Amino acid sequence: MAAQALADAAVRAGHHAQAFPYFGAERRGAPVQAFARIDSRKIRVKSQVYEPDLVVVLDASLFELEPVTEGLKEGGRLAVNTPLRPEELEIGEGTEAVTATADATAIALQTLKVPIVNTAMLGVLCRVQDLVPIETVMEAVQERFGEKLGAIAGRANASSAWKAYDGAVVGVASGKRRIARAKEWRPAWHEMPAGTSLPSATIDGVEVGPGSARTNLTGEWRWSTPFYKKDRCIRCLRCWWSCPDAAIDRLDDDYMRWNFDYCKGCGICADICPVSAIDMIKGVHRW
Amino acid sequence: MVRMTITANAAVAHAARLARVALVPGFPITPQTTIIEQISEFINDGEMDAEFIPAESEHSVMSVAIGASAGGVRTFTATSSQGLALMYEMLFAAAPSRLPIVMVNANRSVGAASGIWTEHNDSLPVREAGWLQAYVEDGQEALDATLQAFRIAEDARVRLPVMVCMDGFILTHTVEAVDVPERAEVDRFLPRFDTTNTLVPSDPMVMSPIVPPEFAMEMRYQQDRAMQASLEVIKEVDEEFAGLFGRRYGGLFEEYRMEDAEYAMIGLGTWVGAAREVVDQLRAEGRKAGLIKLRFVRPFPATELREALKDMKAVGVFERSASFNGFGPLYTELRSAMYGTDVPITDHFGGIGGRDITVPDVREMYEVVERRSRGERVNECTWHGLRGEQG
Ligand code: SF4
Ligand code: SF4
Repeated sequence: MAAQALADAAVRAGHHAQAFPYFGAERRGAPVQAFARIDSRKIRVKSQVYEPDLVVVLDASLFELEPVTEGLKEGGRLAVNTPLRPEELEIGEGTEAVTATADATAIALQTLKVPIVNTAMLGVLCRVQDLVPIETVMEAVQERFGEKLGAIAGRANASSAWKAYDGAVVGVASGKRRIARAKEWRPAWHEMPAGTSLPSATIDGVEVGPGSARTNLTGEWRWSTPFYKKDRCIRCLRCWWSCPDAAIDRLDDDYMRWNFDYCKGCGICADICPVSAIDMIKGVHRW
Repeated sequence: MVRMTITANAAVAHAARLARVALVPGFPITPQTTIIEQISEFINDGEMDAEFIPAESEHSVMSVAIGASAGGVRTFTATSSQGLALMYEMLFAAAPSRLPIVMVNANRSVGAASGIWTEHNDSLPVREAGWLQAYVEDGQEALDATLQAFRIAEDARVRLPVMVCMDGFILTHTVEAVDVPERAEVDRFLPRFDTTNTLVPSDPMVMSPIVPPEFAMEMRYQQDRAMQASLEVIKEVDEEFAGLFGRRYGGLFEEYRMEDAEYAMIGLGTWVGAAREVVDQLRAEGRKAGLIKLRFVRPFPATELREALKDMKAVGVFERSASFNGFGPLYTELRSAMYGTDVPITDHFGGIGGRDITVPDVREMYEVVERRSRGERVNECTWHGLRGEQG
């Protein structure tokens, strides 16, 4: 929605613009992407953006996980949510970029009372690149968010953008850290099984399509872990068929075993268990 | 006119509102759902004076649409993929009944293995259902083509349903600047719904009775003539639209930099945007590339395309849908239109299942067509971006 507000502001400022989310399969908790293009002439290309002029990073910890500056053009810029100054940041290897930083999380908590940083980051973006005036961005934010969430939320989001714009620090960030893109399974057509059906033996039946479960270890998203109290379990199987990631294996004796490569800690199993045989324990565990 | 930054789905909902559609049956399916959601919001907010009927399936949606249109009101709906497949039977009822229903189809891959992304294998296989089929390039055209669709569908020479197809997600979920006309402007373009040949209790008639062989051929031939007549109507409507709104789409197809082109590609949907960029690149390098943006697959403008392409040294066809065991559906259509000329035609698959189509991808297609135009041997059929050897 922030990308849409940016496009909206650009159009208000007399430019051409487009904005869209990443069109692939997305799931809560995994890093997501959205794109925007702004131009003085009509934008005809509709593909995703592979060589951005500007990257807005909503969570600085992504620098440790993803090659976020990959493809950034020579002279490209960054806007990053972090309490650090640009010079203290460690971005992708071999990259040096004019960068604006602001503690957008703190600003959002203060203005919106929730850690939703996207509108604050629009302010940081305005600071690092003179694309659209901040006033126009605030106007677009206020209207768009206001329409969806009510006038108060619209104003709060606009003020979030302003505070971040006002408080952002501009400098140069660079990086030495090498972040390799995760190796993805990309078979040739003749290497794929007919009908893209995969044998259940491969990963305990959780593999639902080529390249999905094999590469998406949803267990990495877990911040709370189910703890199974086998002695209480009445073997009703509810948890087993309710787990959205098929992360619970049903053993021969109908007791359960958890697969922590895939359990993402959603807590559905604990919720549905009629005898409280599953406790959700804070933190990432394997037992 | 108001300039809004909205998705193509919202643009289409505005078109339905501005066209004073009176009845909208709907059933949700990604990536179309926000069209009917937006319409139901318009109705709820009193911005649209229409009846919204949530049906229990897409088969029922089309049945309701048929009933409504036969009952004498302007009818609109939207669907996608399996939704369109579930309507299949009723699509074939709407056309011979000569009901000017307008439906937007958000193109999405149909069937297994499940995908929600763009492919034209939902709409192209139903091109024989008797509906006109238009394809659009961006959000503005989605709105404009939907408005044009009502005019074309309701024209007394046509009276056939029209399907406006747009690429799922790439258009349906992308916001762009769209100029939304005022009601009064649209009223000047789109007259009140023509209620001749509709069911009125005071003047009963039978619609779509059993038609025995003694009459069936004549009825089918009527459909054939109506489809043929739509070729001219489409051009007229586009001209009139241009006069009122200042936007012209070329009628049946748009020729882009074709004046002195030596080779060209033809394609539809959002691919066209990237193709325009590639043609500009090639032209800047002094290479004589051109582009034809196909707007209508039904009626298929065979004579007009033959005229536009007869002097090409090679023509490439872009396909986002396969026919299996060789060429795609548009290739087959174009090849037949070009029968008797010696223009070489190559077929180019891309973006299947929603795979992103970039400018370099389209450039690769054009390079093949250019090589063919120089008389080099190339594969007649190429899947661009496919991993693994092609036979
Ligand atoms: S918390 Fe339970 S339901 Fe959720 S993913 Fe883990 S095992 Fe499955
Ligand atoms: S829901 Fe609870 S009782 Fe039932 S099988 Fe799972 S752990 Fe056992």
